[in-house]
Amino acid sequence: MSLAHESIASLRRRLAAKEIRCRDIVQDLLQQIDAREKTIHAYTHVDREAALAAAEKADPTLPLGGIPIAIKDNLNVLGDPCTCASKILDGYKAPYDATAIARLRQAGAIFLGRTNMDEFAMGSSTENSALGITRNPWDSSRIPGGSSGGSAAAVGGRIALAALGSDTGGSIRQPAALCGCVGLKPTYGRISRYGLVAFASSLDQIGPLTRTVEDSAILLSALAGHDPHDNTTDLRKPESFLTKPDASVKGLRVGIPKEYFIPGMDAETEAAVRQSAEWFKKNGATLVDISLPHTPSAIAVYYILATAEASANLARFDGVRYGRRAADPRDVLDLYHRTRSEGFGPEVKRRIILGTFVLSAGYTDAYYRKAQKVRGLIRQDFGKAFASCDLLLTPTSPEPAFKLGERTQDPLKMYLADVFTISVNLAGNPAISLPCGFTKSNLPIGLQLIGPRFGEEKILQAGHSYEQAHDWHKRLPPT
Amino acid sequence: MSAPQINISDVASLARLTLTREETEKFSSQLGQILSHMDSLKQIEMGDVPEVTPPAQPNLRKDVPVPSLTLQAALSNAPAQANDLILVPKIVE
Amino acid sequence: MSSSSKWESVIGLEVHVQVRTQTKMFCGCTNQYGDAQNTHLCPVCLGLPGSLPVPNEEAIRKTILSGLMLGCKITPVARFDRKNYFYPDMPKNYQISQYDDPLCAGGGVTLDPFLFPKEIQETDEAKAGRSIRLVRIHLEEDVAKSFHFEDRSGIDFNRAGTPLMEIVSEADLRTPGEAFSFLGSLRQILLAGNVSDADMEKGQMRCDVNVSVRPFGQKEYGTKVELKNLNSISGVRRALTYEIARQIAACEKGESIAHETRRWDDEAGATFTMRTKEKAHDYRYFPEPDLLPVRTDQGLLESARTLVPELPSDLQSRLIRDFGVTPYQASVLTADRILCGYYEKAAGGTKNKALVANWILNDFLATQPDPTTTPVRPEYFGELADLVAGGAINSAQAKKVFTELTTNPSSPKEIVKKLGLEQISDSSALSAYCDEAIAANPRSVEDYKAGKMNAINALKGFVMKKSQGKANPSQVDEILRTKLSA
Repeated sequence: MSLAHESIASLRRRLAAKEIRCRDIVQDLLQQIDAREKTIHAYTHVDREAALAAAEKADPTLPLGGIPIAIKDNLNVLGDPCTCASKILDGYKAPYDATAIARLRQAGAIFLGRTNMDEFAMGSSTENSALGITRNPWDSSRIPGGSSGGSAAAVGGRIALAALGSDTGGSIRQPAALCGCVGLKPTYGRISRYGLVAFASSLDQIGPLTRTVEDSAILLSALAGHDPHDNTTDLRKPESFLTKPDASVKGLRVGIPKEYFIPGMDAETEAAVRQSAEWFKKNGATLVDISLPHTPSAIAVYYILATAEASANLARFDGVRYGRRAADPRDVLDLYHRTRSEGFGPEVKRRIILGTFVLSAGYTDAYYRKAQKVRGLIRQDFGKAFASCDLLLTPTSPEPAFKLGERTQDPLKMYLADVFTISVNLAGNPAISLPCGFTKSNLPIGLQLIGPRFGEEKILQAGHSYEQAHDWHKRLPPT
Repeated sequence: MSAPQINISDVASLARLTLTREETEKFSSQLGQILSHMDSLKQIEMGDVPEVTPPAQPNLRKDVPVPSLTLQAALSNAPAQANDLILVPKIVE
Repeated sequence: MSSSSKWESVIGLEVHVQVRTQTKMFCGCTNQYGDAQNTHLCPVCLGLPGSLPVPNEEAIRKTILSGLMLGCKITPVARFDRKNYFYPDMPKNYQISQYDDPLCAGGGVTLDPFLFPKEIQETDEAKAGRSIRLVRIHLEEDVAKSFHFEDRSGIDFNRAGTPLMEIVSEADLRTPGEAFSFLGSLRQILLAGNVSDADMEKGQMRCDVNVSVRPFGQKEYGTKVELKNLNSISGVRRALTYEIARQIAACEKGESIAHETRRWDDEAGATFTMRTKEKAHDYRYFPEPDLLPVRTDQGLLESARTLVPELPSDLQSRLIRDFGVTPYQASVLTADRILCGYYEKAAGGTKNKALVANWILNDFLATQPDPTTTPVRPEYFGELADLVAGGAINSAQAKKVFTELTTNPSSPKEIVKKLGLEQISDSSALSAYCDEAIAANPRSVEDYKAGKMNAINALKGFVMKKSQGKANPSQVDEILRTKLSA
């Protein structure tokens, strides 16, 4: 079996036992990439030489020593491009490391390449990339999900061991579910956003996509912690994660929110998730029926707040200090208009306009301020739920991967696919998606476990127990 | 009340975007749909949402200088520069 | 005052002050004027993708301090907001500022009479001591600096991100002279607190003005005009003087005033319409999601309180009351805290404080000293004043001592000895001189006895000459009169 199919935890044991060398891992992965990347197109750049060179110098005694990680193309890595899958950042080379990258470096990790995404993380299918689409490794006629579609397709497709992604409304969890891997969105404030190109500042979080829950915990440990460069990171002391891997789920109170099992959702998805709930019950957990009553408002609240913040965050892309600049601008106004109109794709423009509108004079109260207030209600829903539950169990996506091109003309329908992931970002809670089954046509189905704020340990433990009792994570995609 | 008619051109102008006629029409109808969906928020009973108390420690920065980017690094991505300045078309008041 | 007393002008000022800190508002880059272009930059102040702001605690503290000095209410929970607009000097095309919850609210500036333009300091307007209310003080980041060439502009981002206080006054000012004093009085307070050097010519303090006119007694405001490009405190006065006259002239002709922004051209001495802008900016303010709210009640307010200095008005009162200086002298000392410190040291060891003030402010200041490095120790002035007041030397001799003091500094007592200037106060010696004078000037003696009182001056002059200036003039006077009346 190729080293590319193993987990980080297992590779680290073998490195420690000197059974393998760092360069063996990179070489195996590069072989897998050569075989499958042409179909999947998960990567925007692959740094073969740099990765092999780094593998030679790697120190396997460090927590991630010699482990290659793929990086979503919206994270600044010193000296590398950072396109955000947009034409407007064509030519930009990062003059600094994101804090998350610096921490991975400190832990000894090496960087294999940059992964494809929806432009500026706006999308749920990675069809909004200016650098081409990515295909689902389980069925190349289908989407991998988004916006971290490249990262998920690489990990699910076994052409990356692990990857970093970002999650604003589900952009780690939903593609992880659709591509059959583990995707963790930590609590807001857990991992520094410094160096992550901002989409929606109060919602964005960086997180790992991995094959196993244990690998997710390893990466979380390396990434988490207060950063003086990010005012929104929490001050609590550093923690270890998955400290009791053999703990059982006995006594856990698992909440099942009724708003997450809606008519019209995919029947196979619902069946697989309900079956997973049964597994918890059979192993000593209590299932608790709960309600998150403001769930139906979440999409509206999200799209008002996220686009508002995004419209300001993307104002800096103007061709003045970096990136692509329109040729021969007549004056400053022309510089702005043409640079931005030529540089941004349609989904980005649509969201900028929506965001600008909801903040504009006369409409701020009705839209922006109202949405902020309802966000408070959504937070309150989760707070109340966790008074009687240790974690919540839901599907990650209402359906498995749909066909490429199916939703591109219907943005509203595309937005509605985020319904199960979005509330978690609005509330700031942590959530993990892990494989819990496959459809008859061998498409992955994802299970979402939501924890209380800073309760990653609870969902990692429960997720690990569930995973180890099943074989979903061992199934390989078709070659 | 139905969703307001967004004047797409005005909003685009605020965002320094120029839309083609086609884009303007398409966005107009798409955004109209999206805004209608958002009108559902009007129905929500607000009730009492407690204000989140801001943390006592706002993570402020001490006033101690740290090294800056070198001139070369700072200007390395500038599309147009001369004499250590970043260039733009003439700014007219 | 306005050219026609039928009209009242209504003036409000919006003052931006750069806060003196080591680093910028939201990043650790050096906050320094005048260094090589684009050398104090980082991802944050250059607006690179992925950068995040972190607030400068000292800038917040100094803003709170400013609020305390100006009598503002300090907000318990202050917040930052994004102000959205596009401009090449804006690294992010939004400015982090404060909108709903500024650090300081209310407050006021009392107009210091001595900070009115010199030629109107004696008028009622200057002496009125009016207090101008403030609306608020908030903290934000400054923009970059642009340079304009023939066919393009160049931008230096060093200044981008500098902490900037925006101080907004109510429309309480009524004359250009008041605006002049407002800026000077405000500046003096900020200097006292070490908040800023507030030098308008270095761009550390910038001022926009709103001015309208209305008939005296009318409650409604006239149409407001905003003035920009005011580069000095006196420029503000000149611009207002011009603009008020322009508005009054128009009103008297029955013309309407356009609600617009006008640019002051100091060379031309006039305001001009700026290129007409489309509708007012829609800044789309919303709370800055990258920054936590700032609670001032968890230690920041307390630490700012410890920094509140003696305010200029309090210092002036104290100097007049405890040191006996004139109000004018008090204002000179208040304007220069270092000199004031020197003076207080000098006057500290003597009862003759007012005399010390005269020496320092008239004679010593004329030598353009640096009070921090001068070898002339402040105690010397106290000693000098005591020598004169105690009669050891007379004022003519004191002047000689002072000259020596500034060229070859050492204690006045030593100088008196060195120059042999001890005043003669021994009555028998003086009596001998007086007898000599009487004997040598019979005509003057006759004149004096005949009723010409001034004739005594010739006799006194004779004594001073004979004694090489050392005779105690008042004793000589007494002795002569006694002898002559005998």
